[in-house]
Amino acid sequence: MNNIINSIKKEFTTTTLVLIPVAIAINIAIGELVVRLNLPVYLDSIGTILVGVLAGPWAGLVTGALANIIWGLIRPSSAPFFYVAAVIGLMAGLAGRWGAFNRESPRWLSVLIGAVFFFSLAMFILAFINLQVVDGFPVFPSMAGLLRQYALVFIAALIIGGAIGYFLLQNGAYAGSAGLITGVVAAIISAPTVAIVFGGVTGSGTDLLVAAFRASGANILASALAQGAVSDPFDKMLSFMVVWIILRSLPARFKAR
Amino acid sequence: MNSPFSLYVARESGLHHLHPLTKLTLTFGLLIAALALPWIWATYILTALVIVPLSVWGHIARPLLRAIWTTVMPFAISVFLIQGLLWGSGTELFRLGPVSLKQEGFVFATASTGRILMIFGAFLLFAMATRPDTLMIALKQIGFPGGLAYIIVTTIQIVPRFQAKANTILDAQRSRGLETEGNILVRARALLPLVMPLVLGSLVDVEERAIAVEARAFNSKRRETSLVEITDSQTQQIARWLMMGLTVGILIARVIWR
Repeated sequence: MNNIINSIKKEFTTTTLVLIPVAIAINIAIGELVVRLNLPVYLDSIGTILVGVLAGPWAGLVTGALANIIWGLIRPSSAPFFYVAAVIGLMAGLAGRWGAFNRESPRWLSVLIGAVFFFSLAMFILAFINLQVVDGFPVFPSMAGLLRQYALVFIAALIIGGAIGYFLLQNGAYAGSAGLITGVVAAIISAPTVAIVFGGVTGSGTDLLVAAFRASGANILASALAQGAVSDPFDKMLSFMVVWIILRSLPARFKAR
Repeated sequence: MNSPFSLYVARESGLHHLHPLTKLTLTFGLLIAALALPWIWATYILTALVIVPLSVWGHIARPLLRAIWTTVMPFAISVFLIQGLLWGSGTELFRLGPVSLKQEGFVFATASTGRILMIFGAFLLFAMATRPDTLMIALKQIGFPGGLAYIIVTTIQIVPRFQAKANTILDAQRSRGLETEGNILVRARALLPLVMPLVLGSLVDVEERAIAVEARAFNSKRRETSLVEITDSQTQQIARWLMMGLTVGILIARVIWR
């Protein structure tokens, strides 16, 4: 137990304490840049991920939680999701310890991960859209049936996913896939808050997805989850990739601190 | 001069002069009440009878109502359209072509909007009437770690500078011919040239800043004195305990009757 406390304390050096406000400011500044560029992503946790990787999982956790609470001072809707941001920081830190950000991956792995991800995403969305409600219970269509019915969609998903893996992930498949996993976790744990606090909507463009899932008969929690599962993994994958690129351009002396 | 990163509205009012912890306890109690009270009109009534009168007392009714309006509206529209019209099955209120308004969906949307209204209202009231630095001093006095207080106060101070820096970088890269408008690929390609200078530049500053704060007794274990005085009173202490008791009461009642 004492070991754990000591290892947590060790993460919070003066440099870490000074780094955290800068990281939160980076989150906010980039989040706003993305809005000005009118891109369909958030990218509002790049600073949090950086702290997780540079200073450790606990520092990442604190950064994420504080970032959302402070952002809540001018945008109250982000404050209830402080625990999601905390988990993102924690997972980025764990991925960093595992070496996701300083190993280069072979390119075929990037293609594979991109293809698998897009395939699962297509399966997930089609399963929700073809959901049938029998006597009040949701019944998911069988995977084999979906594969036969939408064969073209799945082939397209594999090709697009592979291409994205090859051109976007390049040698950063480890960081990218850590981001994908983080995004999936973020989608799962944020769904209850979306459903309970916000009535299942996000008040932004992704509500179109919520509408589509609701119209197909999914319940409120499932629709919130599905909305998150479509937007979060891709967003976190991009964020992790950006951090990976940033870390490659940082001087080694800084990383050592 | 950049505008500070906070919603604080400077006014001379009784609400502003309350001890920050009194307002924090009230806000926390309102948040719990918004989430725990089962009756759908409770959130609307509490907003009208607690939050709005307090904002009038604090001379911030107008900015508060405007802020509530702009933050709650997108949620309200979404929740009424989606949950009101796309509710799976239920009693139909009226039908318009393919969509129909369901009673259950309408009730759910009304309840959700009330909850969002009260949560945002309580939060905005607190943020507009409380200076962040006085809140941090008050929290430090009851044993909140100094490092966390430093992080929060510093963040609030440096965010406007970062926003300005981001704008400068955007202008600079544009003047070098970076395209920031056009189709999505063009805009996505503009991202890295904007993000990299911002992040790398600020990270390099971090080291210098760390040395600077260490040279100013950042790690000192001594009790620090503060420039800003916060006034407290016995009445407010009693009020805080009462509000905490009420909040816990609401929670217990919620657990028992469910």
